[in-house]
Amino acid sequence: MTVTNRGTAQITAWCQELFDDLDFTVARKWKAAAPGRGVVAYMPVYVPRELIHAAGMLPLGILGGGENLEVIHGDAYYQSYICRIPRSTLELGITGKLDFVDGFLFPSICDVIRNLSGIWKLLFPKVYVRYFDVPQTYVDDTGGSFYVQEMQELREGLEHVTGRKITDEALRDSIAVYNQNRRLIRDLYALRSRAPWLVPTSELYLLLRAGMVLPVEEHSQLVTEYLAAAQAEQRPMRDNCRVVMNGLFCEQPPLNLIKAIEMSGCYVVDDDFMLVTRWLLDDVPVAGDPLQNLSTAFLHRSMETSAKYQPDLAQKGKYLIDSVRENGAEGVIFAAPSFCDPALLERPMLETRLDAVDVPHIGFKYAENSGQMQPVREQAGTFADSIKLWSTP
Amino acid sequence: MRKITAGIDVGTGCVKAVLFEHGEGAPRWLARACERIRQRDPYQLAEEAYLGLLAEQKLERKDVAYVATTGDGENLTFATGHFYSMTTHARGAVFLDASTRAVVDVGALHGRAMRTDGRGKVLSYKMTSQCASGSGQFLENIARYLGIAQDEIGALSIQGKNPEKVSSICAVLAETDVINMVSRGISASNILRGIHVSMAGRLASLVKGVAAMEGTVLMTGGLALDQGLVAATQEALAETRSPLVVRTHPDAIHAGAIGAALWGAFRYDKLQARGQLGGQAAGRAA
Repeated sequence: MTVTNRGTAQITAWCQELFDDLDFTVARKWKAAAPGRGVVAYMPVYVPRELIHAAGMLPLGILGGGENLEVIHGDAYYQSYICRIPRSTLELGITGKLDFVDGFLFPSICDVIRNLSGIWKLLFPKVYVRYFDVPQTYVDDTGGSFYVQEMQELREGLEHVTGRKITDEALRDSIAVYNQNRRLIRDLYALRSRAPWLVPTSELYLLLRAGMVLPVEEHSQLVTEYLAAAQAEQRPMRDNCRVVMNGLFCEQPPLNLIKAIEMSGCYVVDDDFMLVTRWLLDDVPVAGDPLQNLSTAFLHRSMETSAKYQPDLAQKGKYLIDSVRENGAEGVIFAAPSFCDPALLERPMLETRLDAVDVPHIGFKYAENSGQMQPVREQAGTFADSIKLWSTP
Repeated sequence: MRKITAGIDVGTGCVKAVLFEHGEGAPRWLARACERIRQRDPYQLAEEAYLGLLAEQKLERKDVAYVATTGDGENLTFATGHFYSMTTHARGAVFLDASTRAVVDVGALHGRAMRTDGRGKVLSYKMTSQCASGSGQFLENIARYLGIAQDEIGALSIQGKNPEKVSSICAVLAETDVINMVSRGISASNILRGIHVSMAGRLASLVKGVAAMEGTVLMTGGLALDQGLVAATQEALAETRSPLVVRTHPDAIHAGAIGAALWGAFRYDKLQARGQLGGQAAGRAA
């Protein structure tokens, strides 16, 4: 794909098509385009996509079935008090929508996703399935060694799938390609923070979702194109309040929820959507041992989120306060999936930290198929009004 | 510094627009418009109404410091900012009647109550659930079935001495109730009175829910001028020994737009004091 002169509306429309396509046609076509190609799916929050890329395979982000997928089979595998993303992901698998996938990685985000890896192994024995564990100790000679070993096992597993070695050279090239993508995503977030009227969050979200199904090179071109288009277009600046959204890192909100919050008078200036695209905070060094470099970046230069262990209580929630300050936000909207243990258990601690520094916040829950947005509009609208009218400078 | 602000309330049934002038002393209400939507594009209608007010006052778009929308007006592209309906109705109600400490806003599709302070700041609120039986649309449907003009509803209702009990839970059941009443020969005035009593019971519960204890309850929105509903709401509150006085105002239908325009001015001043007047409002003050 070459860079074209598409405007943001056309780019967003293309991303919406990708978002709506639960058959993953683009990924299927990519795989069919050349012999020996493979696709490895992964769930939120983070996997080192560089390894999949270096294996000559397409990393495919699976974030559930969204609001348009009717879950019939998936409900049979989970109790009623479990979130919806594992059910709809199973529905995708059982109904054959992921029948082209050669491997599936289930990162260590919560017990539900860990157990989903076991179910997947039983249901799809021909697929390479791996529960991808990450360190909970951020010390090089313990957590670091563990993580390098985890990645090495993943590397060998992928080599077994393709029948080809993943060389260090290929890994370095892949790190460079993903470094570029991460830089572009950082630029996108920086532009939205600086001028949120130019980058509506509903568009940013769709652009990130496109990155879940497109080859990374193509996605980088798409983001480059969007950045140029967004800055070239004249969009009116509204008198909205600036908010950070938190808690949406796994099961995804319906797109209409994001739109409802924006329509209610909020500019979202930071969020935790699809953290895999921004998990590593800066460029991973290309020279040297690639696995060691990825491990060091994970341990010392990765994002904070509820799904990541923070041993130092004094540091708990600091990232959120930093985000509020760095992005000039006036409040925080906690939006978490129903029954999401990581997000909902963390929320009271984060709220306490925000209260201590007088940052206003509201919170609600959603499911990926929530249809009624009026309560969201009501909460977000009154929250925006209270900030705009009654907050002190 | 003199400045002009506009408030535009895009409702389900009507679009309301107002212009205010702010300077020394109290804000001055310059102009108003209220257009029934009648299956037209509400956004186009809102812009036409706004431009009509500007032309009437010999003003141009650039003369307006802040265009504030409310109701379903979030998508009006020329607006400076948007305020939620509860925020604007509370402010508009206090502008219309300074003794207001609670507001009951009954529009085409919803009913809501807010408790407010003397500045128009919402202190608490309650809304009817998704059911339409507490709404203007329901009343409009019933009036149509009975062959009664909307502006006759209030006067007829007050004449009703033996109101028939109507389901207060579901608009569908309530409509069935009304059909049965017609077939039983119940007079239109008693049917309408029964509907008003049913709606008023729900509205009084909302007022009770926001813990309003004193002052005036001002009714706003499309049904604010329905004398029958106002009287029934007062009676429903009196039955709970509430000291609240229910009132309406001839301009109550504009309360949302008024509140939007006034909060727009407030917000403009706040942004100016902070040195944050950017592209959204800068340079628009006259």
